[in-house]
Amino acid sequence: MQFRLEKRREPSQAMVYATPVAAVVLTMVVGAILFSLIGYDGVGAVREIFLTPLTNSFKWQDLGVKAAPLIIIGTGLSIAYRANVWNIGAEGQYIMGGLAATWVALATYGMTGWWILPLMLVAGVLGGAAYAAIPALLKTRLNVNEILTSLMLTYASVQLIYYLVRAPWKDPMGMGFPQTRIFSEAARLPTIIPTTIVHLGVPIAIVVALVAWFVMSRSVFGYQMKVVGAAPHAARYGGFSENKTIWLALLVSGGLAGMAGMLEVAGPFQRMVPGFPTNYGFTAIIVAFLGRLNPLGVIFAGIVMAITFVGGEVAQTSIGLSNSATGVFQAMMLFFLLAGDILIRYRIRRVAPQAAGVAP
Amino acid sequence: MSTDLIIAVIITVVGASTPILIAALGELVVERAGVLNLGVEGMMLVGAITAFVIVFVTGNHYLAILMAAAAGVATSLIFGFLTLSLSANQTATGLALTIFGTGLSALAGQGYSAKPVTLLGPLFPGLAADPFWRVLFGYSALVYFALFMVVAIWYFLKRTRAGLILRAVGENDLSAHSIGYSVIGVRYMAVMFGGAMAGIAGACFPLLLTPQWAERMTAGRGWIAVALVVFASWRPFRLLAGAYLFGLVMTMELYAKAGGGPLSAIPSELWAALPYLATVVVLVLISIRRDASTNAPACLGKPFLPSN
Amino acid sequence: MTITRRNILKVGAAAAALPLLGTKAFAQTEPLKVGFMLIGTVNDNGWNFGHATGAKYMKDQLGDAVAEPTVVENVPEGPDCERVLRELAQSGHKLIFAASFGYGDYVIKVAQQFPDVKFEHATGYQRSDNVATYNARFHEGRAVCGTIAGHLSKTGKAGYIGSFPIPEVVMGINAFTLAARKVNPDFTMTPVYISTWNDPAKEADTARAMIDQGIDVIAQHTDGPAALQVAEERGIVGGFGQGADMSAFAPNAQLTSIIDNWGPHYVEAAQAVIDGSWTSGDRWPGLKEGEVQIGPYGPKVTDEVKAAAEAIKQGQIDGTFNIFTGPINDHTGAERVPAGVTLTDAELLSMDWYVEGVNPPA
Repeated sequence: MQFRLEKRREPSQAMVYATPVAAVVLTMVVGAILFSLIGYDGVGAVREIFLTPLTNSFKWQDLGVKAAPLIIIGTGLSIAYRANVWNIGAEGQYIMGGLAATWVALATYGMTGWWILPLMLVAGVLGGAAYAAIPALLKTRLNVNEILTSLMLTYASVQLIYYLVRAPWKDPMGMGFPQTRIFSEAARLPTIIPTTIVHLGVPIAIVVALVAWFVMSRSVFGYQMKVVGAAPHAARYGGFSENKTIWLALLVSGGLAGMAGMLEVAGPFQRMVPGFPTNYGFTAIIVAFLGRLNPLGVIFAGIVMAITFVGGEVAQTSIGLSNSATGVFQAMMLFFLLAGDILIRYRIRRVAPQAAGVAP
Repeated sequence: MSTDLIIAVIITVVGASTPILIAALGELVVERAGVLNLGVEGMMLVGAITAFVIVFVTGNHYLAILMAAAAGVATSLIFGFLTLSLSANQTATGLALTIFGTGLSALAGQGYSAKPVTLLGPLFPGLAADPFWRVLFGYSALVYFALFMVVAIWYFLKRTRAGLILRAVGENDLSAHSIGYSVIGVRYMAVMFGGAMAGIAGACFPLLLTPQWAERMTAGRGWIAVALVVFASWRPFRLLAGAYLFGLVMTMELYAKAGGGPLSAIPSELWAALPYLATVVVLVLISIRRDASTNAPACLGKPFLPSN
Repeated sequence: MTITRRNILKVGAAAAALPLLGTKAFAQTEPLKVGFMLIGTVNDNGWNFGHATGAKYMKDQLGDAVAEPTVVENVPEGPDCERVLRELAQSGHKLIFAASFGYGDYVIKVAQQFPDVKFEHATGYQRSDNVATYNARFHEGRAVCGTIAGHLSKTGKAGYIGSFPIPEVVMGINAFTLAARKVNPDFTMTPVYISTWNDPAKEADTARAMIDQGIDVIAQHTDGPAALQVAEERGIVGGFGQGADMSAFAPNAQLTSIIDNWGPHYVEAAQAVIDGSWTSGDRWPGLKEGEVQIGPYGPKVTDEVKAAAEAIKQGQIDGTFNIFTGPINDHTGAERVPAGVTLTDAELLSMDWYVEGVNPPA
């Protein structure tokens, strides 16, 4: 029996929604089988990684806090990718946003006032956007591939953190450890639900995604991004500037990554440390795809990714599943998701064995 | 600096450069075919653990290199199937492949970290003992393999019909398709070659640099290899020069600090960031020159979608 | 060792102000659950391996009184560790060890939310009612290593591979150098910081860079055997195992090793929680208590050198010798500690200067 792919006349909306769900379910089934075969408690692993974070109400706050930066960055990236601008340096822009906010926090150390946090937020957004402006400038002026420049700049920014926390920004009371001092009260993000760790960044993430959804689906800006991304030639006839779109895509995605950096450093971290880059920027690329480049989908995807992170730690403490297994689960989920993409544009037909197959 | 020290530095630089050279050579061929595989780091880790386990069990270094290559190919086929057969996004798939390789190698390597193995010895043991000639002949087969592959890939791309087809597929997949070449087939071969080279590059860690297994022991060198391909503007001989230059940058910091002297005052973070910053500068320079032959393959990173 | 442990327990019990009834009731019904949070993998042969081994030792010693210990690896220093700490506390762990410096802020935070759970933070300095700190006097072991290096080094030049210049590492460098210079007054030490805890290829290249420039003894503060393997391959005088005996990797080059032996401390802390006698405080034992051990000597260490090393070791166990007793000059040659004066623990824990003989890194 052979199968062949047949192009659909129109992308299937049903598949847009069905494939991410199918990817998660397939990961759970295949993961349980594979891990059982190689001698682990496969069913237990799936239960702890995917279900416990949802059923245990203690874990909900963790999901919110972990998902928030992923949703904010993922939203920005989904806008950029819709415009066919491949910013994969969100991690670097997140770092620069965090560093800019840290700079404000250290400069205002010991001061009080309601204006410090908003100033940090502005600095974070500007820091991220400014770092994304480098690939934008190089792309629009010199046609340099933004995938490569944004990626390279990420690795340079990691070194900048190391340098700053080791030398000029080192905590004078920190026993020589490479980290800044803890921010003063006014530079720390407030917790919004008492006795939990849920900080202001969590509702901000939801608002950002909702606003982005509205803008992308209802405004000229959103229309421009999508048209330029889908059909650059047609867009040019329609009077949309491709360069302007590239700038907007990178500034928005960089700015949002920078915002996430500010929220992280002012919220959960409350000081800059070498461990600040935790791959949120890279994970958010996955989140953007899992969410089908739709801000509402990104909310869902951010929560799913957060579940696997939180669940991975649950599995470590409860059934002793090693940390690396979580990575394998995440990768598997992505593989299934990416494989499912094809079903949006193609359908599978069963054909007789003698017919020439198109598939590999 | 005495001659002895210069020779010693060269030997260390060559060692540090070899894995990034091998991985980057593979990625160069992949990218020349129009595919961007960002999973190099993941494939290297799979190669590293495979090589370690084989050499630990059998003691045969060459078998270990071979199996590392095979493991790299197997890993790269996941990428190939998703991006080529199913036209999935290459950037996302490559990142997922790195997550996969990191996790898989750590899972497979549990229980192997307290085990010692031996390095692959020099190819010409007699000359390797000579205080001077060791600078040319004192290396293990992996080093000469890397150099041989530079020439072989240059010759392949420049002088062979198959190389021409591969470049055509990377520059203009639709035309290559319309004159009857299998774009997907060529890209599969390229991706598998890239996987094999990344696997061997990973094998360099336990066999050439430090005879042990440690989780994530490639420590980001897969990304340096990706940078290097761009730095070399997709040319094999520039890649060779670039690899040794990156190796020199990575190693000089350590020599400067261990020996004192003015260079030791440069912050180590600047040394670490240099390869990436230099790559951005090179990207800018080649774009300014607008020299078509030095630019990125036109189809890099874009899926092949015949419009029929 | 048993007597020592009891002594410490007695001190702990005397200092206990609060009757920990809740803990006692808990201990009577089911075995104590103990959690360990580690920065890296338990397979690193060094720091994390040492803690995991200690966890196993605790289970072996206490048997059914404790549950199978929970070890969570690869926990980054940051908000992720806060989540893991809460996860451990919520799932019934009544004693939690957090074994990396950067966990400090989060241990304090989570401990406030779980007043009936005891936390112990390795290498830290922040404490509260239910947060204790603990560490080991590794520098005592370094003094023994330095003595051996002073005797055996032919070039009189040693290197020290560290990750970051934190006081712990600076202390180690200084103790090593002071001990070596008591044997060979011309001895010099070059520290190289590589800004990473886990890049074995870079450690190996650092060792090569040192050996190529005349260094023939290498000490390290990074985990893993990479530098020792290079020492073995190059046939220099040698190096020292860090955290565990690494003679399997370098049978000739490993002169001796400093072994982290956390097991006794873990037994003692768990027992104290079971008995309800656990109290907060700072515990910083060393060679005397067996928390720092000197591994077997390598084949190059002659009987004479062995005797010298043993003398330094025994002196530190007896309390008759302290490596940080003056006169000590700093690297510029200016007197830093007058004769007869010994640096206090507080001074050691904030050490940011190098002794004479160290080529200070930029």
